[in-house]
Amino acid sequence: MPQRRVLIVDDALFMRNTLRDIFTTAGFAVAGEADDGVQAVNLFRELKPDLVTMDIVMPYKSGIDATREIVQQDPGAVVIMCSALGQESLVMEAIEAGATDFIVKPFRGEDVLAVVKKVLGE
Amino acid sequence: MAEAPHKYLHAFIAEAMEHLEQLASELVRIEHEPPGGPLWDSIFRHVHSVKGSAATIGLPAIVEIAHVAETLIGKLKAQHRRPERMQVDLLLQATDALVHQVRRASGAEQAPTSEAEQSGALVERLSSASSALPELAPAAPAPKSAQKPVADPSLPRLDVAFSLAKSCQAPGARALIVQRKLKLAGTLLEMEPQPGALMQRKGGARVTALLATARSVEEVRGLFDGIPEVEEVEVRVAPVANAPVAEAQAPPPSTALLAIPEATGSEDQRAEATVRVRAHALDQLLDQAAEVLHGIARLREAARLLPENAAAQFESEIDRLRRTARDLHGRVMNARLTPFSSLTERLPRAIRDLAHRLGKEVELEVQGGEVELDRTVIEALGDPLTHLVRNAVDHGLETGAQRIAVGKSGRGLLVLTARRERDKVLVEVSDDGAGFDAARLRRRAIDMGLLSSEKVAELSEQQSYELAFLPGLSTRAEATDLSGRGVGLDAVKAAVEALGGKIGLRSAPGKGSRFTLELPLSVSMANLLLVQVGGEMYGLPMTRIIATTEYDLSARGGEGFEARSLAVMGQLVRAYSLAKLFGLPSLAPPGPRPFAVLEVDGITFALSVDRLVGQEEAVLKPLFPPLDRVRGLAGTTVLGNGRPLLVLDPRGLHELAESAQRLRGAA
Repeated sequence: MPQRRVLIVDDALFMRNTLRDIFTTAGFAVAGEADDGVQAVNLFRELKPDLVTMDIVMPYKSGIDATREIVQQDPGAVVIMCSALGQESLVMEAIEAGATDFIVKPFRGEDVLAVVKKVLGE
Repeated sequence: MAEAPHKYLHAFIAEAMEHLEQLASELVRIEHEPPGGPLWDSIFRHVHSVKGSAATIGLPAIVEIAHVAETLIGKLKAQHRRPERMQVDLLLQATDALVHQVRRASGAEQAPTSEAEQSGALVERLSSASSALPELAPAAPAPKSAQKPVADPSLPRLDVAFSLAKSCQAPGARALIVQRKLKLAGTLLEMEPQPGALMQRKGGARVTALLATARSVEEVRGLFDGIPEVEEVEVRVAPVANAPVAEAQAPPPSTALLAIPEATGSEDQRAEATVRVRAHALDQLLDQAAEVLHGIARLREAARLLPENAAAQFESEIDRLRRTARDLHGRVMNARLTPFSSLTERLPRAIRDLAHRLGKEVELEVQGGEVELDRTVIEALGDPLTHLVRNAVDHGLETGAQRIAVGKSGRGLLVLTARRERDKVLVEVSDDGAGFDAARLRRRAIDMGLLSSEKVAELSEQQSYELAFLPGLSTRAEATDLSGRGVGLDAVKAAVEALGGKIGLRSAPGKGSRFTLELPLSVSMANLLLVQVGGEMYGLPMTRIIATTEYDLSARGGEGFEARSLAVMGQLVRAYSLAKLFGLPSLAPPGPRPFAVLEVDGITFALSVDRLVGQEEAVLKPLFPPLDRVRGLAGTTVLGNGRPLLVLDPRGLHELAESAQRLRGAA
């Protein structure tokens, strides 16, 4: 199977670094990183990743709006929301907007990979 | 802590501190913003981001405070009213507590023993402030849709049941994902409980559904393969008797919770792409760029030994290289430029707290926040600026009642401006307060024995104000704990001058005062004359040197005689010995000595050294304690060969020489 390519979207460098480590250790390729919703939509169009991890609360454009635009571009896009505790209603809104699944911070590497592998059917 | 620190702890700390700093300044501003405005979204985002990262790194104390603060912020935004001062105070305290916790995580602060209780009490107060506000409109259950799902009666009905894992953190969202999959496979006639009702219901739940679909039992069961946190899935054909009770389908739960900022982000709104670079990395780059320049200077020196026919081409190549290196150096310097606003961001908070304690109303106005200065200048300016501002609020501005009594508005005005003028930046701190008391300053200068009464009598009104910069001279007998802190205006002056800047003060009785700081844009390249004294090497800024010469001071008077002046270009100038000024042994043999002739503020003087070594370009770095207290030093630099070098401050040297002279004269 070709290496899966992931786009990491989070306004916190700390979270991006953490996710990048999780993915690269598990053999994924990090195709790109975005720190706001606008950049996320642009990079998705450009990079066509197999998977997007999407923060919700971000400047310029929220993760929910970015997800909606990405899914409009590509209905098969796999977008996993990274939410914090206490954001369930926002996660539900994101799912309505087309998000594939979600993970809740704080997460461990294995939690992230379990969800990712499940939704990618691996 | 036995565990190794998290790999990205430093990234977390840097980001969190940035968020918290902005949070504090936005909280101060929110009191003056229209209710429910976009600033609330930004405030929410700061707390939220810190919470998310802290949760991942495993800092529960931060998560706890951030979580309750976030809840309060959400409610304050939703109530569409201006927040009360008490509520903002509470959020500012939460910000302080978060800063404290982040600093602790960085190892910069030790926790006092009572901290856990304090933090607990804060969380308690934040929670009760939240509870006092109306609950947010619940996001779910959503209103029932008027239209009931209608399924083709010929389609088979499937009973579907599944459990949500106990560990599932967002059961409502998880059930919604299942619901969406089932809807894609047919007509979902029933689902119990609805996703909205499962929100916040952790600990596992059993969900049942009725689906009208042409798909087989296996196919429907297969839908669950790609869904995490779902267990004990059962799918079977429903008994025919189970007539479809067309249960309403929940439309998307429209959340009334905190609105995400409007998607206004067009591409052009985003400035140039930026990356975060550690300040230290830029410092290193700058050092290395400077070293390249030094290397080139050495090459140039070495090229002089080449035969003349080879030297010309070599030198032109070196010149080109030197221009490129200078360009590189300039670009790194530019990358280090930091906006003035980075200094003023935290001031509104400090002023608000201080003014409230003093029972004053103060309005702060910042102009020119976008003016950029070198990071070194910005860093060194932090304390002096804070001091001037606190001083203005504490001593300069009057109380509301005093102001109204003299016909001013009850609210004091404090204005901070920065503006660029050629290669300088002018920073002004002005207030419309009572102004300095010139007579009092004069009196104190005499009382403290700093100046004679004759000298003081010669001073003009404006010159008298400058007395405030003399060491130990404060208009109040005792420094208050608010702005005193054992630091006087003399320290502010010293800090500004250490940066190669100047400070001035204008004042008018009853109208206010204005400090003007003239600062270098950057701590730039200095062309240095290297001199040796007592076996040590020092640098003198070439900009202050008007000549070098050799002179034998003892020639005119024989053994033991030393003239105090020498003739330079037909002018008699004072001569001082650098060795004596610094109490160093002079290692030069008797006889003619090399002199550097300097000019400061229109005064020319000569400085004798043991040896003139040469010239070098160097980047000046500000002095670190305790060297910053030594008069006559301007900074440090590192020479091409890696050796550190002290750079001398001609103005300071002249003052040092003058006071030594006075001492001798007095003795």
